[in-house]
Amino acid sequence: MLRHDPLANPEPLIRRVYAYVAYRVGDGPDAEDLTSETFERAIRYRKSYDPKKGEPVAWLLGIAKRCIDGRGPMVELASEHADEPVPSNLEEDTIRRLTVGRAVGALDERDRELIALRYGADLTARQIAELLGARTNAIEVALHRALGRLRETFGPEADSEPVRKREASR
Amino acid sequence: MRYWRRRHEFDLEAELRAGRPEPSPDFVRRLDAEVRESGRTRVGGTLRVALVGALTAVMLMALAGVGGVGYAASAGRDAAVSVKRVVTPREVVRVLKKSPAIDQYAKKPKKKVKKVKKAKKGKGAKGKVRARTRPPFTG
Repeated sequence: MLRHDPLANPEPLIRRVYAYVAYRVGDGPDAEDLTSETFERAIRYRKSYDPKKGEPVAWLLGIAKRCIDGRGPMVELASEHADEPVPSNLEEDTIRRLTVGRAVGALDERDRELIALRYGADLTARQIAELLGARTNAIEVALHRALGRLRETFGPEADSEPVRKREASR
Repeated sequence: MRYWRRRHEFDLEAELRAGRPEPSPDFVRRLDAEVRESGRTRVGGTLRVALVGALTAVMLMALAGVGGVGYAASAGRDAAVSVKRVVTPREVVRVLKKSPAIDQYAKKPKKKVKKVKKAKKGKGAKGKVRARTRPPFTG
């Protein structure tokens, strides 16, 4: 009688959706707003969730994608917290996030979306393919290329590292 | 980018995972509470509907045990017949049609005159001609 509730355990879902949104539009209040909007819509349409069509996170990311697309192009992709003072023990983490965020923000829309889905929302290439309505193989190739372009933004150290295609396609 | 240059080993995918944006704990807590609250309301509503359904089923079963369902069905059927009798005027019309006045003065329906088909000319004539041309039977 009671159907499977896609939002039964919301915390990990919130983190994954936020990471995806933040990779797309930049870390900060905009990402929080879009995440809230996504969950608001999910609560409203939770009855429409069909477990046969995929996992709850894929369903939520679909909603998040529509929310982002509905908002139009975002102006600022870098973190809003970039100039805020941070405690010293968090320095390395913060620098890492800022650097990754800036590098991802420099990519084009399509590459950014793939990186956000793969490394922000932690989806597999197959799940991304299902979500975007593409073939898994095509997504693997596109991800590989997006990573290549991202490496270029990091300089020669990044270029020397071998490309881990298998991990990208996991 | 200096941060990256300082590092000896570079694993872009690991860095992308480690450096993925994290929401503030306060935001997570607030949204989590909101989502859980909405779920609780929904489950409460569903449970109420389920409880009402179960109670109805139990009552029906208890009534069926003492023949209450059959009694209710026949009462319903009687009510339907009564309503039908009141609503449909068919019986009254039938009585009026059978009154003596109508028997005596009512317009009688016209008798239908059957059309008689005329015999075709050609066929018979042809037969006669053939009989005439045939030689007489001599035994």
